[in-house]
Amino acid sequence: MIKFSNVSLIYPNSTTTVIEDLNLEIPEGELVLVIGPTGSGKSSLLRLINGLVPHHTGGILAGDISVDGISTALVKPGGLAHLIGIVGQNPANAFVADTVEEELVFGMEALNLSNDVMRKRVEEILDLLSLAPLRNRAISTLSGGEQQRVAIASALVTHPKVLVLDEPTSALDPIAAEEVLSILHRLVHDLSLTVVIAEHKLERVIQFADRIVHIDGAGVASVGTPEEILRTSSIAPPIVELARVLGLKEIGLTVREMRRLTNEFRETQKVENIDAARKIGDAVVEVKNLQIAYAGKNAIQNISTQIFDNEIVAIMGRNGAGKSSLLRAIAGISENNSGSVLVCGEDSQKLEGKKRRETIGFIPQEPSDLLYAQSVKSECEQADLDNQIAKGTTQEILNQLVPGISKDAHPRDLSEGQRLALALSVVLSANPKILVLDEPTRGLDYQAKRVLVKILIDFARLFNRSVVIATHDVELVAELATRTIFIADGELIADGTTIDVLLSSPAFAPQVSKVMSPHPWLTVADVVSALNRVN
Amino acid sequence: MMKKLTYHPLTWWIFCCAIAIAIARVNSPLFAICAVGAMSILVISQKQDAPWSRSFIWSLKLSIWIIAVRTVIGVLIGVPIPGTVLFRVPILQLPSWMPGIRIGGDVTLERLSSSISEGIVICAIIVIFSAASSLTSPHRLLRVLPIYIYEFGISIVIATSVLPQLVASVTRIRTAQRLRGQRTSGVKAFKRIAIPLLEESLARSLDLAAAMDSRGYGYSKKRSRYRPIKFARIDTLIVATGLIVMGLS
Repeated sequence: MIKFSNVSLIYPNSTTTVIEDLNLEIPEGELVLVIGPTGSGKSSLLRLINGLVPHHTGGILAGDISVDGISTALVKPGGLAHLIGIVGQNPANAFVADTVEEELVFGMEALNLSNDVMRKRVEEILDLLSLAPLRNRAISTLSGGEQQRVAIASALVTHPKVLVLDEPTSALDPIAAEEVLSILHRLVHDLSLTVVIAEHKLERVIQFADRIVHIDGAGVASVGTPEEILRTSSIAPPIVELARVLGLKEIGLTVREMRRLTNEFRETQKVENIDAARKIGDAVVEVKNLQIAYAGKNAIQNISTQIFDNEIVAIMGRNGAGKSSLLRAIAGISENNSGSVLVCGEDSQKLEGKKRRETIGFIPQEPSDLLYAQSVKSECEQADLDNQIAKGTTQEILNQLVPGISKDAHPRDLSEGQRLALALSVVLSANPKILVLDEPTRGLDYQAKRVLVKILIDFARLFNRSVVIATHDVELVAELATRTIFIADGELIADGTTIDVLLSSPAFAPQVSKVMSPHPWLTVADVVSALNRVN
Repeated sequence: MMKKLTYHPLTWWIFCCAIAIAIARVNSPLFAICAVGAMSILVISQKQDAPWSRSFIWSLKLSIWIIAVRTVIGVLIGVPIPGTVLFRVPILQLPSWMPGIRIGGDVTLERLSSSISEGIVICAIIVIFSAASSLTSPHRLLRVLPIYIYEFGISIVIATSVLPQLVASVTRIRTAQRLRGQRTSGVKAFKRIAIPLLEESLARSLDLAAAMDSRGYGYSKKRSRYRPIKFARIDTLIVATGLIVMGLS
């Protein structure tokens, strides 16, 4: 169906090849997963399939790519619209109409399909993706998961033979992600659709993949079955790492397989009761009877909680449950209907300037919102100046966090992980008492995530500070958080140690704990330390 | 409250054109104010929660500015009209090569009222047109426009979808910068907000253009219509009302 022959790609004004001599053939009805570190060219590979690269971006392409026998060199992306449906990294940027139904028909109208065909297909696709109740809704009012489903539906409605998705689950909560992926799985099996997905959160997709294309940083790609690739690749989901640590001969890709493989191991281990005694320090943040409403709808309903020194608190919940609202209230930038938020004894709404910087460090969902200078260097100098600290301090922090970022690089040209590190060092240079992060792992690979985890744990432990983080990433919470708050519909549903909260909910349990149940281990590191204790 | 019906996208445009012509022909501030008042009630009763519906409020604010600026300029510069003198502004001496222009002088009641009433009529027309645009989704309007100007649709879709998002982005970036403890007003702050904003909206427009391209937009010259929008009886009624008002004026 898709054939890459000797494909190499170089972007203009760049000296490194994005992809080098890639040969790849994807037969019909296969689900192919593209993995690789950030900036390795996954998105480029996906956009090569329908010719957006190089037709839209420029660049030099060597070799040939053909889809269903049509070479992309000869046809513009529009000419492949009937054959390929493509869903970008951020579907909200790509919507062209006001309502769900109009969005769905946009592609079909462009292909000049007749009216009765369109009507039939709209009904079909609404049923297939369970969008029927949303058909007349304005797209801007939908949640992230719903928008993702609309984007997939409008790509599928033209009956393409190939569906290309760039990080389809990165913005979704675990439940919505599973929903989207199981729909894709069904399409591959029912309609023999060919699907190509790029995704960082391997733990979510690996069980559905027929084959993996692994691009390493240098543009070299290897292709193989998931077992082949994951046995050796530097990128691996937690269950594969678990298999490696336990020295299993085979690796399992699903929880079920791994449970079979580790049956013996689990039985030989004694089930321990971990009572994580919470060390109570001083309360840094005090939220009292907080109530926030937007446009008549309650975003936060009467939440009261406290956050202490030395604590890393994860806030979890579905898309639109009120996680961001709670973070914004803590940071003091929301309009509270009633209740109060005190940070270090002061009303967080009233903090300004230097005092604010020294009290709360906030990393928004788009870390680049904080950045405005033309180079890494001037960004760091500005932070030094703002905080009246010795010149070079911020640069020093940055070097400690992520070494090897060029000083003269433009912040926009950095990878997601590097940009996050830059924003973090700017915020940390003010030495805040509490660090608040909104969804920091979007677009981060495992390597960058590990660095982030280390930075945050060090910050909390070494400086005795607290961290609050809102995230969908269960594995991150398992690695990082000491306490987890779970909210739904603006109400506080659960609040306790991470281990208690995560283990009590099957949907939000990390893979390792599902494999190792009833042992209370959340991460590979937990298993290793348990093993060490026994030996 | 009136029930929210969907109208043909051209209905309100034709109606508003007719009313605007009527305002221009009657040329009475009283009629203009009445028309704006009636239009306001209509817009409020039909208000949708869409980005373009806000354009009406904006045009009202803009109109007040226009009237104010026009009145000040009209009073200071322009042909004097004799009548009741309200107050005097000192006359600015202009060089001899600028004859016929007078700045300052007597301000008469007649002068003041004529510039205000001219301002009201002009602004009423602006407000009426913005009412039309706030009552009609630009995307729906696009769908009924003839095929040969459809090409120009790509820019309209980008403009109408990127602009509202731009407003949201400004708010978001300002908040983020406030959290960095930066001031959010003044020239420096403008630069700090403008740079990330420009980058983001550029990236967004490129995304959108790529998406429209990969969905085959503009590739085939023929384009079919899903649910062609029909001109219903209510549309005819509205258009007829507008034309009658125009005829009577």
